[in-house]
Amino acid sequence: MEDCKSAISNPEGKQHMMAAALHLTKALVASDYLTDDLKKILTDLDSHLSAMGVIVESKGGEFFEFEQRLKHAEEKVASWKPNQLMVCNSGPIEASETFKVVDEIHTLMESLRNLAADESGKPMELLQRAESLLQTVMSRLEEELVHILHQHKQYFEPQYMSFRSFRSDVAYDESFVSVEEEPLDEASRRNSNGDESEDHLVDLVHPQVIPHLKSIANLMFASNYAQELCQAFVRARKEALDEYWDSLSMDTFTIEDVLKMEGKSLNYEMKRWIWIMKILIRVYLPSEKRLCDQILGESGSFSPHCFVETSKASMLYLLNFGEAVVMGAHEPDKLFRLLDMYEVLADLLLDIDHLLLEEAGSVNRIEFHKLLAKLGDFSRATFAEFRCAIASKTSNTPFPGGSIHHMTKYVMNYIKTLAEYVDTLNVLLKDQVSEDPSSVFELENSQEGGSSATSCPTACHLRSIASTLESNLNNRAKLYKDVALQNVFLMNNINYIVQKVKSSKLGLLLGDVWIREHMAKVQQHATGYERNSWSFAVSLLRSHDGSSLPKAIFKERSRSFSVTFEEVYRNQTAWYIPDPQLRAELQISISNKVIQAYRSFTGRNSNDEKHIKYTADDLESFLLDLFEGSPRSLQNFRRR
Amino acid sequence: MRATDSQGSFLNRISIRRNQVVSMEGNHEQELEDLDLFQKYVADRFSNLLAPSDETPVSGAAAGAGDGGSLLSIAWLRKLLDAFLCCEAEFKAVLVMGRDPSQVSKPPLDRLVPELLDRVVKSLDICNAVTHGVEAVRHFQKLAEIAVSALGQRPIGDGQVRRAKKALSSLIAAMAVEDRDSVGGKSTERAWSFGRRGAGAASAKDRSSGQFRSLLWGMAKGWSSAKQLQAMSSNLVAPRGAESSGLAQPVYIMSTVVILVMWALVAAIPCQERTGLLTHFPVPRQFAWAQPMIGLQEKIAEEWKKKEKRGSSGLLDEMQRLEKLGNSLIEFADSFQFPAEPERLEEVAAQVAELAETCRKMEEGLVPLQRQIREVFHKIVRTRTEVLDVLDQAGKLSTPTM
Repeated sequence: MEDCKSAISNPEGKQHMMAAALHLTKALVASDYLTDDLKKILTDLDSHLSAMGVIVESKGGEFFEFEQRLKHAEEKVASWKPNQLMVCNSGPIEASETFKVVDEIHTLMESLRNLAADESGKPMELLQRAESLLQTVMSRLEEELVHILHQHKQYFEPQYMSFRSFRSDVAYDESFVSVEEEPLDEASRRNSNGDESEDHLVDLVHPQVIPHLKSIANLMFASNYAQELCQAFVRARKEALDEYWDSLSMDTFTIEDVLKMEGKSLNYEMKRWIWIMKILIRVYLPSEKRLCDQILGESGSFSPHCFVETSKASMLYLLNFGEAVVMGAHEPDKLFRLLDMYEVLADLLLDIDHLLLEEAGSVNRIEFHKLLAKLGDFSRATFAEFRCAIASKTSNTPFPGGSIHHMTKYVMNYIKTLAEYVDTLNVLLKDQVSEDPSSVFELENSQEGGSSATSCPTACHLRSIASTLESNLNNRAKLYKDVALQNVFLMNNINYIVQKVKSSKLGLLLGDVWIREHMAKVQQHATGYERNSWSFAVSLLRSHDGSSLPKAIFKERSRSFSVTFEEVYRNQTAWYIPDPQLRAELQISISNKVIQAYRSFTGRNSNDEKHIKYTADDLESFLLDLFEGSPRSLQNFRRR
Repeated sequence: MRATDSQGSFLNRISIRRNQVVSMEGNHEQELEDLDLFQKYVADRFSNLLAPSDETPVSGAAAGAGDGGSLLSIAWLRKLLDAFLCCEAEFKAVLVMGRDPSQVSKPPLDRLVPELLDRVVKSLDICNAVTHGVEAVRHFQKLAEIAVSALGQRPIGDGQVRRAKKALSSLIAAMAVEDRDSVGGKSTERAWSFGRRGAGAASAKDRSSGQFRSLLWGMAKGWSSAKQLQAMSSNLVAPRGAESSGLAQPVYIMSTVVILVMWALVAAIPCQERTGLLTHFPVPRQFAWAQPMIGLQEKIAEEWKKKEKRGSSGLLDEMQRLEKLGNSLIEFADSFQFPAEPERLEEVAAQVAELAETCRKMEEGLVPLQRQIREVFHKIVRTRTEVLDVLDQAGKLSTPTM
């Protein structure tokens, strides 16, 4: 209150002084005891003082001119039709009637304020009228601002990253049980939405009306209506963002919703989040910021303030969704989406920093940084969980036919996809100790030329996962009573692993040494199989000196061989080697060892043909039935 | 007052002791003592909040910020959240620190702890809804500030009075909408959208006075703070018999604290769907620690009932002031003729000064309040994670979804 009074009394005092000075000057000029030079100086002073708008007359009617001007302005304002736009569509801004009226009101108010010495005089009455008129005009301008913002708002179709083209791959919605070998195209997906979103500023309000909006803003600022301006602006722009959000069919979820979401929906919503992050952070919000700057930029800190106010709620939602995701369980099936979220946020962090540069936005800026760290931790924990899951998946029943286990397929497809994230994983796993089974790798690889791919953290972790998988498979193999079937099972699975590695980026990471070592393992198991399956049969066919056997012995051996072969046939037709090449190689190898021996066995004893149940050619063709996964029997075999 | 200031003694003592004991069972006495300390601690914290504040409801200029502020003022809410943060830290010390996981996985805790975590998740959503509510309150503040600066002009003329009236009318209307939406108006549109419906058809005039739409933004459709609180308290049962001397007791106390604090926030600050907000939840009177909380609950419930009857906006002290002063100043504006009578002017000047003071408190308090709510949010998340880890170790909860 005290301040207020002194603020009023100051200009009042000045006015009195000025009035006195003017009066004195006029009187001196009129008098005749001054030299001409002095008179001239005083005349100049007189006109100076008068030009300052300080007209101090005491008689009524002297304010006629002001009153006329005010009346004129009032009439003009009164003539504006209720829905007529005042600023928009009326030619150059500076020439617009509104601009002139506001300018006139300002001038009048300024002059009148200097004159209004007390609360009852004519100048005060006129000043009140002028202020009232200004309020009317400002109110209209505020309406008009909102109207234009609404009428001319524009949305953009996020075509270049429309959600549909943002592949809805079904990568790991499945879990351990039912993974078919689908081509995943994870790599192509990842490349398809890379760097194309640079510099995508769009016009959220038609560019044509920007100058009008800007001049409304300037008029309101100049009239001390900044508060109203910001309120109206933020409200209109928030509404626009809200509508845009809706037009993208974005749902909003509470944390409870997210935590209760089942895998598939969560996977989908995580992708939506990534998508909307890109749109908002890369395109919409920078455009919004530019709009704020265009319209409010000339007026101090209002532009960043309004931007933060407009964008705050949407940013908070994006943050909270992320928080909810990292509150969930560490399910391995989520890992890829998590890494996607991590990558997109890491990628957008600079943009976010830039958007929220000012103090007003610092809270959310820091929150985004923290969220990135949390996503990183959560991804790491989920990755660790993946390995635990492999190690802990056990079974009591042997896998039928010794074929490729679901888990092998799942794990290999999983880490094949993981390999696409190698750069991100390297960052996340940098300080993580891996249990790389073969520390010698580093050495050997460095001898190979020290490819850094094979010694990066991801490579170490992937080798470690592969070895976890292998030991799990070894345990599963033990469930087969037949040692030969153990061999087939391991051969099948390790072969699958090797093929996956060779045909993908995994090859580069795990390295040639690893591949060679595992190919050797496949070979070992093949050899093991032959030994365990066929050594007895082959032993029957052997002779020490190459001469023919006594009849009885030949008969006995021949019979035993047939029985053994029939048994093997019956068992091993039910076994399954899905890889045709592997199957063929094994059949050839058996043929080389067994059928060759059989040929010479029968050849040496050709005079006892009646004891020979099967010809070598018969056996040769029987071998082709092995490992086809459909059990057969030779019981009803009749010689052709 | 920071949460960490006051945890020193108790927390340290527990952790040191735990380290010595290495979580062996059979240290029952020690444990009982810890539980006792925890109860005392909680009771003390809440008695402080209940202590009558000398600040008189009007003439805020003199009151300064006070150190606690009157019940349901911004300063008081911040004190409440401080108390929450402290109790939460103590609770964590009791339940998690150095504890043998198997203890937490045995009945009845195997049921009580997940129930608590469920409440905790719901309270996170309430934190977010309240954050949006604070945003709405900041909007009210901005409107009140316009009136303050308009009516601060001398002499008060018609133009400034109209300007103030426009802002204050928007303020009163916005408060009413916020309240109607949150106390269950017929509005079926999503509450975080401020008026999508009909926005296209609305005339420029409607839109410029767009304060007549809810400002709440962010919660999912159909989400209701009242229902959340209902769900949080419905399965809360006080431990009986032998349970009441074990870990079931602090879990129960913490649940009560969570519910009470969230409930107070929802009552004070505009929040999505407050229809049917509880005015009473069962806190058994036989517990000494519960007395201050019962006192608080009764006081707030009383206010809430008054509010429902009056149809006023929120319980937040500052909002109530804005509403009262706003209405009174609108009345002044309606009958205003230049020049105003000096006595009336003096009266208005006092009201404007109070309005200015209230705005100042809001300006100083709302953003820190918002930050503090966020801090509560993050603390709750962290504790939940730690508790889940313990449960995980106990191997009883293979796939925690909550």
